[in-house]
Amino acid sequence: MSSIHVADTGLFVAMGKPQNRRYQAVERFVRRNELTFVLPERVYDELTVESSKEWTPPVDSAIEAGWARIAKPLDYTNPVVSRTMDGVQRYIANADDRPADEIERADPALAGVAAQALVEGRATDAYVYTTDRLAGEGAETILAGEGFDDAVTYVDGFRFVEDLLE
Amino acid sequence: MSRTSNRADGAVVRDFLSVADLLEDPQLARLYAALARSGETTVQELMTDLDLAQGTAYAYVNRLVDAGVIETVRDEQPRTYAACDIDLTLTGGEDAQEYTITPALVDAVGRRETDDDIDTYIDRHGIDGLATALTYAVDRERGEVTHRTMASDLDMSPLAAEIILQALRPVVVEHFDVGRSGASIADIDELDGV
Repeated sequence: MSSIHVADTGLFVAMGKPQNRRYQAVERFVRRNELTFVLPERVYDELTVESSKEWTPPVDSAIEAGWARIAKPLDYTNPVVSRTMDGVQRYIANADDRPADEIERADPALAGVAAQALVEGRATDAYVYTTDRLAGEGAETILAGEGFDDAVTYVDGFRFVEDLLE
Repeated sequence: MSRTSNRADGAVVRDFLSVADLLEDPQLARLYAALARSGETTVQELMTDLDLAQGTAYAYVNRLVDAGVIETVRDEQPRTYAACDIDLTLTGGEDAQEYTITPALVDAVGRRETDDDIDTYIDRHGIDGLATALTYAVDRERGEVTHRTMASDLDMSPLAAEIILQALRPVVVEHFDVGRSGASIADIDELDGV
């Protein structure tokens, strides 16, 4: 059984810098379990935006260390991938009564990357690590509707990091 | 306008000024939040909790009592104090929008002393900006918006939105009933021995 572990921006922000014990706890955990976090391209772009204002979350150091990588580009010609993306976009829009086209495509991309791995048979299970409850619940709900009922788990990024520190 | 309502109007304005004082001074806000958190407390306990010198602690407590946002519960030594609830609704702006100032906002402002991300955010966006961010932080924990919704509404980078939302999360968890969601380590099937 193989799994894909899709990570959102908030997980890397919650880890803090590499010298931080939260970062180290996550790194120990993924190494011990031989996991690799997969980041949608849009998430990677968010994390590495050039800015003098914000600190840069340690995504590049995780990639260099081999426990994170950028997802391959989303294949919109795959109907499951594109339906999943649209579905999550609508799910997020409905929660706040706004038009779907106002929703950033990075939110649906988490579910899109999971969908693509499941459809292409590269994974039998998908975990989506996010600090946005709405994005996590959206991914679970929409992929369940695509027939991946028990295959997708939304992991609360905050609880994940907090539990590792216990 | 009757005499009674004049007096009541005055009380509302006094409340507003007291709360404005709290929001202007993070040390005062922090002390108020600590009292609100711990219930009935002595100055001694506040000194220990917040690592304050005796003179400073007494000065702040007296200012808060004078402002009417905390009250003396027991008058004999050692005196104890408790926070009065803050629930002040303001109306303003073009659409006569309402905003209610609550102890949560005071708590968030008080954390500027100990949280660099909140401090930086207030420098850039003001207390009013922090109030807006707190609204998004509550909505996000309830699963109604994501950090990207906030970023696009407020025209800021998603990373900046995520950073302030995470800094405000402890305030949200403490003051609002947001429930829990999602899975954690125990639910990640393939792991062995964790």
